[in-house]
Amino acid sequence: MSDSDYSHILRRDPRGERIARNRLHPLHSTVAVQVAETLGPSGLLRKNPHAVGFIGPNGIKRIDRLKGNAIAITGRRNAQSSQEVLLPLHQVSEPDFTIVVVPDMVGGRLTAHDKDILGQAHQLARSMEAGVAGESTGAGAVMAVVFGVSKEESFDKAGVDRLLLLDGAEYEGYCPEQQVAALEQVEARLKPEYWLFPDSVHGGTDLGSRLAARLGERPATQAWQMNTETTICRGASGSTDITRDTPRLLMLAQECANPVDETRHEALSIEWAPVQAVLPELHDLGQVAVDPNAIPLAEAEFILAAGNGITNWEQFHATAKALGATEGASRVAVDDGNMPRFRQVGASGTWVTARVYLAVGISGAIQHMQGIGQCDKVVTINTDAGCDMVKRADLSTIGDAEKVLDELINLVDTYRQQALHNQNGEKEGAKNAA
Amino acid sequence: MTFEWLHPFLIATALLLAAVGAVRRVNLWRAGQPESVDFVAGLMAMPGRYLHDLHDIVERDKYMSKTHAATGGGFVLSLLLVVLVHLFGVQNQILAWALLASLALMFVGAIFVFKRRLNPPSRLSKGPWMRLPKSLLAFSSAFFILTLPMAGVLPEGAGGLLLTIVLGVFIAMGLSEMLLGMTWGGPMKHAFAGALHLAFHRRPERFGGGRSTGLKPVALDQRVLGVQKPEDFKWNQLLGFDACVQCGKCEAVCPAFAAGQPLNPKKLIQDMVVGMAGGSDAHYAGSPYPGKEVGQANGGPLLTITEGLIDPDTLWSCTTCRACVEECPMMIEHVDAIVDMRRFLTMETGSTPNKGAEVLDNLIATDNPNGNAPASRTNWAADQNLPLLRDVKETDVVFWVSDGAFDMRSQRILRAFVSLLKAANVDFAVLGDEELDSGDVARRLGDDATFQSLAKRNIAALSQYKFKRIVTTDPHAYHCLRNEYTDFAGDVFKGVEVLHHTTFLNELVQAGKLKLSRFKGGKVTYHDPCYLGRYNGEYEAPRELLRSLGIEIAEMERSGFRSRCCGGGGGAPITDIPGERRIADMRMEDVQTTGAELIAVGCQQCTAMLEGVVEPRPQVKDIAEILASVLLDDEAANDVENQLEEAF
Amino acid sequence: MQLDANTSMDLKIVSLISVGKHPTSGRARRAEQDGRAVELGLTLAEAGRGKQNLTVLHAGDSQQSALRSYAGMGLESVRVIQLRESADAVSPLTEYLRKHVPDIILTGVRAESGESSGMVPYLLAEKLGWPVVPRIANIVSIKEGVAEVLQALPRGQRRALTVRLPFIASVDNAAAEPRQSAFGPANRALMEQQQAGSETDTVRSEWSELPARKRPKRLKVVKAKTAADRFKAATAKPQGSGGKVLKDKTVTEQAQAIFDLLLEEGVLR
Ligand SMILES: Cc1cc2nc3c(=O)[nH]c(=O)nc-3n(C[C@H](O)[C@H](O)[C@H](O)COP(=O)(O)OP(=O)(O)OC[C@H]3O[C@@H](n4cnc5c(N)ncnc54)[C@H](O)[C@@H]3O)c2cc1C
Ligand code: SF4
Ligand code: SF4
Repeated sequence: MSDSDYSHILRRDPRGERIARNRLHPLHSTVAVQVAETLGPSGLLRKNPHAVGFIGPNGIKRIDRLKGNAIAITGRRNAQSSQEVLLPLHQVSEPDFTIVVVPDMVGGRLTAHDKDILGQAHQLARSMEAGVAGESTGAGAVMAVVFGVSKEESFDKAGVDRLLLLDGAEYEGYCPEQQVAALEQVEARLKPEYWLFPDSVHGGTDLGSRLAARLGERPATQAWQMNTETTICRGASGSTDITRDTPRLLMLAQECANPVDETRHEALSIEWAPVQAVLPELHDLGQVAVDPNAIPLAEAEFILAAGNGITNWEQFHATAKALGATEGASRVAVDDGNMPRFRQVGASGTWVTARVYLAVGISGAIQHMQGIGQCDKVVTINTDAGCDMVKRADLSTIGDAEKVLDELINLVDTYRQQALHNQNGEKEGAKNAA
Repeated sequence: MTFEWLHPFLIATALLLAAVGAVRRVNLWRAGQPESVDFVAGLMAMPGRYLHDLHDIVERDKYMSKTHAATGGGFVLSLLLVVLVHLFGVQNQILAWALLASLALMFVGAIFVFKRRLNPPSRLSKGPWMRLPKSLLAFSSAFFILTLPMAGVLPEGAGGLLLTIVLGVFIAMGLSEMLLGMTWGGPMKHAFAGALHLAFHRRPERFGGGRSTGLKPVALDQRVLGVQKPEDFKWNQLLGFDACVQCGKCEAVCPAFAAGQPLNPKKLIQDMVVGMAGGSDAHYAGSPYPGKEVGQANGGPLLTITEGLIDPDTLWSCTTCRACVEECPMMIEHVDAIVDMRRFLTMETGSTPNKGAEVLDNLIATDNPNGNAPASRTNWAADQNLPLLRDVKETDVVFWVSDGAFDMRSQRILRAFVSLLKAANVDFAVLGDEELDSGDVARRLGDDATFQSLAKRNIAALSQYKFKRIVTTDPHAYHCLRNEYTDFAGDVFKGVEVLHHTTFLNELVQAGKLKLSRFKGGKVTYHDPCYLGRYNGEYEAPRELLRSLGIEIAEMERSGFRSRCCGGGGGAPITDIPGERRIADMRMEDVQTTGAELIAVGCQQCTAMLEGVVEPRPQVKDIAEILASVLLDDEAANDVENQLEEAF
Repeated sequence: MQLDANTSMDLKIVSLISVGKHPTSGRARRAEQDGRAVELGLTLAEAGRGKQNLTVLHAGDSQQSALRSYAGMGLESVRVIQLRESADAVSPLTEYLRKHVPDIILTGVRAESGESSGMVPYLLAEKLGWPVVPRIANIVSIKEGVAEVLQALPRGQRRALTVRLPFIASVDNAAAEPRQSAFGPANRALMEQQQAGSETDTVRSEWSELPARKRPKRLKVVKAKTAADRFKAATAKPQGSGGKVLKDKTVTEQAQAIFDLLLEEGVLR
């Protein structure tokens, strides 16, 4: 078992206490910070007035008027842990009700969306605890049901009171049927007050819809504001707001609530009798390898686009490859035969939605701009600081594209090599440990 | 003489066979759809149409017009006299001399035809057309010699048997070209079909200097919408195709052809003939569609044209600029044919290429081509305080804003025009959100259903109000409102004048309602928008306006009715068929040869197309913008007047 | 598309369609995803025996003209289960599909009008006891009663899945665009009406529906724990105030700036 499982248990550290009491002890200063505020055995927060204050950057001791907040910038050895300690731990020993959140866990980690949902779950729990018409429902716990291998280390800070981690082999890959079976068991055993799913393309919508259909619950979807009474959902592809009674099962939009950021939670793992493996009708053959250049332009996340300012086409293609970007082009680049027609971005080409659009040697004619209206970040390399693309771009570098691209390739290559090196290093380390 | 019967026999046979051919040819045309035509009036008008309208066009090429007058005139006369003299044996010296004279005329003409054919320009078809001058020479010389004895120049029977036989061969050759070829599909077919085409033309309004450019509406309850098979054309359209002389005048001016897009209007008309008669294009001896080989196309009256005869890309390359129609001496209507076939592709097979489908969907769902929110149509004018017809109900001038309202560049033109209207104290109002897309693009893309729906709703909106004129800065909307809405408008447009803004502004300027200073920029050229010039005949007003600013226009070689399209019409930027060059680039080269620093235009689409050419290039400005830039506000105007007074 | 001999002959497909809603004008139209469901259905049917094996089905009002824009894709007919406006569509659809059992049911992911919950495929699957595959981009092959489908993942990624017929799939925007709707066939298509008993969706009738309010963008509230953080937050350049322009900088600095942005945005993988 790892340390974190015991981290919530309050233990005394007699030696530390001794040093802390003895201001003459050589280690006093280090411990004092740690124990400037301590949780007493009863869970009460205690202050040590002597430990208040810190050594400033130029070695002078100063009074801490920021109540310990300044510690972070002084960069002490243990500043990191001292911040964490500052978040009060929210404990639910015997939950009277449960709110279940099924996070997406993209890449094994909580997404920002997941954290919003956990925040929402706590809002619900608090208002239920405050009680309907003065009648409290008792203390509630927010439980996260996490499928597959988890790499998340801060369930506690995200607001997970109870954690059901189902990471058996049967939960590998795309296995919604197995997941629903597990969720059904949760339903049967815990009868959660609410089921909350992120309404997302990463699986939340799918799983939520499946469970809703299975349980016969009519879910709220694309809900963006809710309390225990009413929920507001987007309807008609986002063009209407439907106000309705809050159902038991909801799929929530991003930013439906603020994530938890003022408390720490137990993230207590729950023992769970294994769920019977279902015979799935869907078989996951795995993700299909997609070459960045084969991604449809309209869906690409990162586009490197070439215009009339490109002269060295080989270098351009090499850059796209090095960056792992999908190639795009202005009409002139297409008309001149340097790029195929399906790469054209703009009014008479494709309207793209890239998060990052790197335009090289493109002047930004209105017909081109129409195509990149939905891009998040536009970066440009151009010799003309006055052109429209520079006006639109979030970051512009004024200079010869060939040179900048050259340098960019170098940077990326070094970065990739380092990453490779680190990976190998990790592997080595793992081997050695074994 | 034992062979006296030979020549009359040849003539009689040729005439008979020609008659049979004529019946067959007529039947090919009759396979087309019915279209009512005033036959008698048409036939009566035919010689006049030939002598005026057709020859006015041929006159543009003096060499050819003289040649044609000599050859054609000589031939018609000769044929009549040949029939009298040689077939019916009328013995009359005067007649014989007349025949000799006309044959000589024809002979001279034929020599010029021959000369032209020695080194023909690429637009001319070769093949049988190279044979024609020889046949003309054979015909005229053989009958000339044959007639000599009758005129008493040569003794009767001179030359003997050998000459008779040689003449027989020449006559047979000449007759088969001139008579059989006329109705069995040789080059001379143009004379027969051309004459009838002039008589039964689908747009008789075009003769006598008239203009008829609006497309004809589709009856939306038909079995097939648009033209799928050659048979689906109107019969007189088929007849029109047959009139083509393959002179290639259309090819020479077609912007799509010059840009290397797969369109050649001459080949297109010839392919229509192939489709109508059945067979392949293997005998076609002119320039191909750029990038496409000749000889692969097959068609028949009952076969779908776009499956084997014509590649849809050919049809979608056209910018509907009407340059071909304007140049065609036979007054053939290429654009009608192209749009007819597009109608089938769009309304029956749903295969409008590239962004076509999207634009049409947007027009249906939002009444504008880019899918902007219909309620945002007047956003551009939020600061302009424009009177709305909905409020004022009655006004002098309706300002038809057009879809430029959604486009930032075009909005500059609109603002400039509004400032001029205000400066001239014009009583005007706009429809605001009640205005919809004019339907121009939908119609040119072949979606007549959407065009009609837009047109009818626009007309309904207009019909609620009272006004005297509609003025618009968009020549495409102008064309629709002026020439195409009339089919659906009842008498909403009765007594209403539809004007382009340059015409209207010119009126204001000439009436002294706008105080303008002189233009102080560099050299200026003017680009005639197709839909203003060729479609509506307005070449003068924009020029007069520019001149009134003291601008001396550096005209491009291709200007006025010969203006080269910017590439923006007919939905061509939407269907965007690839070629070797861009039409706009070629137009910019035209501009650059004048050395102009500013291109004055009268169309937002032209502005967009020309500004789409990469820099460095001359500036592009709408005439309204140029005027607004030299507009003197009242104070400034007073100042200038004062200065002038002081000066004197 | 690959079909083996057995399946191709009699592959029966139903594409479910709804009335879409144009995002800017709000007018009824062919829904984007449902259009793709019909497109995929047509492609499958054409690869098999022919169009007649595709049934395009709608539960609602047969008079709705937007349905014709589906027919314009080249359908001879659209089958409509006639329902009152407030009626629940799932049970009559289930009833129909139990009677006329197809091999594949295709739907959109979410309707463009109404509740737009995306529950229809799941509810049908639950009632019919069929597997449901959400958000597919394509059906790659069908062999011996097993289909290989590509599921659309965000940003152009794909996952391959196999599923045994019969199944329900919802079709993602990543699937092939629906072919153009042509006026002629749309106008001539037959609207085959079927009557069905249906219950009013009483739950929904209690909801209130209004045009969408603008959602406030979450402000980056910096809960600064330290003065320095607060200072940083207060002095940071506000977003959207025009971009950074690196003019007279060395090439290395410029490249580094671009590189940093790419790294920060997480697009370098
Ligand atoms: C109807 C219509 C539709 C159109 N549709 C589209 C469309 O869909 N998409 C589209 O892109 N265009 C479209 N266009 C064309 C558009 O108007 C422009 O012509 C085109 O976008 C310009 O392409 P560009 O920016 O690559 O070329 P340019 O305008 O020539 O710009 C080149 C840029 O590169 C810079 N440069 C030059 N050398 C270097 C160097 N060594 N290093 C760095 N920078 C350099 C220059 O400063 C300049 O800013 C359309 C035009 C029309 C009329
Ligand atoms: S269509 Fe007219 S212009 Fe063209 S080749 Fe024929 S006759 Fe000449
Ligand atoms: S209308 Fe213009 S583009 Fe079309 S064929 Fe004629 S000349 Fe060519």
